[in-house]
Amino acid sequence: MLITGKGGVGRSVVTAALAKIAAKRGRRVLVTEIGDESDDYSPLARHFARARLPKQPEPMEPNIEGAVLLARTGQEMFLKSVLRSGTIARAALSSDALRRLLSAGPSFREMGVFFQLLTYLREKRGAGSAYETILVDMPATGHALSLTGLPELLLRLVPKGPIADSLREGQGYLNDPKLAAAWVVTLPETLPVSECLELIEGLTKTKMPVGGVLVNRVPADPFTEAERAALLPLIEQNAWLGAEQFQKPLLSRREIARLRANTALPIFTTPELPHEGLVDELVRVLDVAKPMPLPVGGA
Amino acid sequence: MTSPVRIGELIRDRRIIVCCGAGGVGKTTTAAAMSLAAARAGRKVLVLTIDPSRRLAETLGVSRNPPEPVRVPEDRQRAAGIKAPGSLDAWMLDPKLVADGAVRRLTKSPEDAERILSNRIYQQVSTMVAGMHEYTAMEALFRLVHEGRYDLVVLDTPPSRHALDFLEAPHRLSGLVDSRAISAFLPRADSLVGRAASRVIQAILSAVFGSDFAEEFVSFLTTFTSIFRSLNVDVGEMRRFLSGPDVAFLLVSSPALATLAEAYFFQDKTKELDLPFRGFVLNRSRAASAERSMPPLEVPGDAVLSAGLGKLHALAELEQHAALRDRALLDELKKRAGDTATAISLPELPQGADDIATLVAVADRLAAS
Repeated sequence: MLITGKGGVGRSVVTAALAKIAAKRGRRVLVTEIGDESDDYSPLARHFARARLPKQPEPMEPNIEGAVLLARTGQEMFLKSVLRSGTIARAALSSDALRRLLSAGPSFREMGVFFQLLTYLREKRGAGSAYETILVDMPATGHALSLTGLPELLLRLVPKGPIADSLREGQGYLNDPKLAAAWVVTLPETLPVSECLELIEGLTKTKMPVGGVLVNRVPADPFTEAERAALLPLIEQNAWLGAEQFQKPLLSRREIARLRANTALPIFTTPELPHEGLVDELVRVLDVAKPMPLPVGGA
Repeated sequence: MTSPVRIGELIRDRRIIVCCGAGGVGKTTTAAAMSLAAARAGRKVLVLTIDPSRRLAETLGVSRNPPEPVRVPEDRQRAAGIKAPGSLDAWMLDPKLVADGAVRRLTKSPEDAERILSNRIYQQVSTMVAGMHEYTAMEALFRLVHEGRYDLVVLDTPPSRHALDFLEAPHRLSGLVDSRAISAFLPRADSLVGRAASRVIQAILSAVFGSDFAEEFVSFLTTFTSIFRSLNVDVGEMRRFLSGPDVAFLLVSSPALATLAEAYFFQDKTKELDLPFRGFVLNRSRAASAERSMPPLEVPGDAVLSAGLGKLHALAELEQHAALRDRALLDELKKRAGDTATAISLPELPQGADDIATLVAVADRLAAS
């Protein structure tokens, strides 16, 4: 499951909650995020009481392992597999020239991340897959699309050879709706809904199956119709506190309706919680009220 | 002691304002409002942005991804209260077009340019060179300011997870085009060690790409980097240029803890790089609602209304709590800003900034700050 969505919509907390739900249902879960070598700030790790995710999968909680996807780690894994020797790969990577090429060269960073993810998809444990559910917290919208669009783009350039083989193998996982899905996290507000619709369009163009939309922080509406009608004129006359919260459910309903009108994808909602990042509460809500379909997975 | 910094003054007298911030904090809207404020004050302004939401382009009435900056249509400018000599242009940058433009400018002949532009590797992946988005934004900024067509250019930095990517990314690109990095991939005859090293690297490239493509790839890298090598100079020059007295860096943040942590980190980094950090813009602040009054708990004799008021009161308490928290946050940002910078807050826009009137309201607030 690729968890996408613009910044500030609560993508990381949703990713963490989904990981915990899948683990509770007895699946072997790997939770990952796309990291950056230049700093190791991790919004996802926070929900597992850690400052950052490890570079190689490590147990985080029962049934959950975690790892950060880094261009560098994946590139090293790829070179090792192609050159069939860790020593040569390490020697090659210690070359300043190659390091610079790999850190800035066209699409090499995306390729590294892609290959690291592929490695975990392949990994076996006993007769089955090492991980039955792999979750990826995808950073900014543009980065998500450059990763899902990578195989198509590169295969046009490099139709054969080890890169092409990996890309095709990766496509086999990612573009199969029975195995993989991208989920778009958004908020019930105007701009986030518009950007969510654009992202769905973008993902579809890259042949990435989209599982659905998760509308996060939907405000509860405590008022009955009669109460609303009675309050409305007073709220318009007075500059009271609470007026914004009073209007919010209406805007939220309008935006969710717009979302429904513009996509046939399943839409899930999670309520607004009083504090940021209440992952356990989100787990409870998502798990009990609206069970999210997890991809069958485990090829 | 320097006089306190005011955002309104920056808008009226700086030549470049760089708006930085993590994704999703309302940076593009802030940059647009900032440029609107300056144009309303009679300046010739350009707002430069990469990959904004469609809505902002629609609000300003400009197309996305034109090859050059475009003037916001007269009727929109009038609606926004912009009068001559003030004017507002917008450029929603397309990194591919800017990269193509840079190739054309940096090559010696149109034939050289065509050779690169028609290279199929260039066509597919030129914008996937790490740092390309950031570089193209910098490049456009640098060129437009030098051409002197504008009194002020407001730059909305490319969307990224980190506010700092904008400052760091061009270095990655300059690292790539540094001659030392590339020469290692080319056949060499200068020394025994050099020959051996380049043979090893070519063997690796062939193993990775297959031998046909490896050759094509090396030839792409050679031409691409020889073109962009002049960029080494540019990155240093741009840094100096961005440290100048005409420039102001602003950091847009939301009250969320994660983006705040980033904001502080960013401030430290600008100090370290000697860039003129001039303020925090705390977006989506609910501080202003602290001034409002609490609704009454009930209206005796009206059961329905009283039930509604009871619920409204609970919501009001939540709002008050948030307002007080955001107010404290602004105070802390002000303290952090010190004497050479400032901190202001902008209210949450529940409807989004998708009409000119809303943008103008934000612009007025900025101008008066």
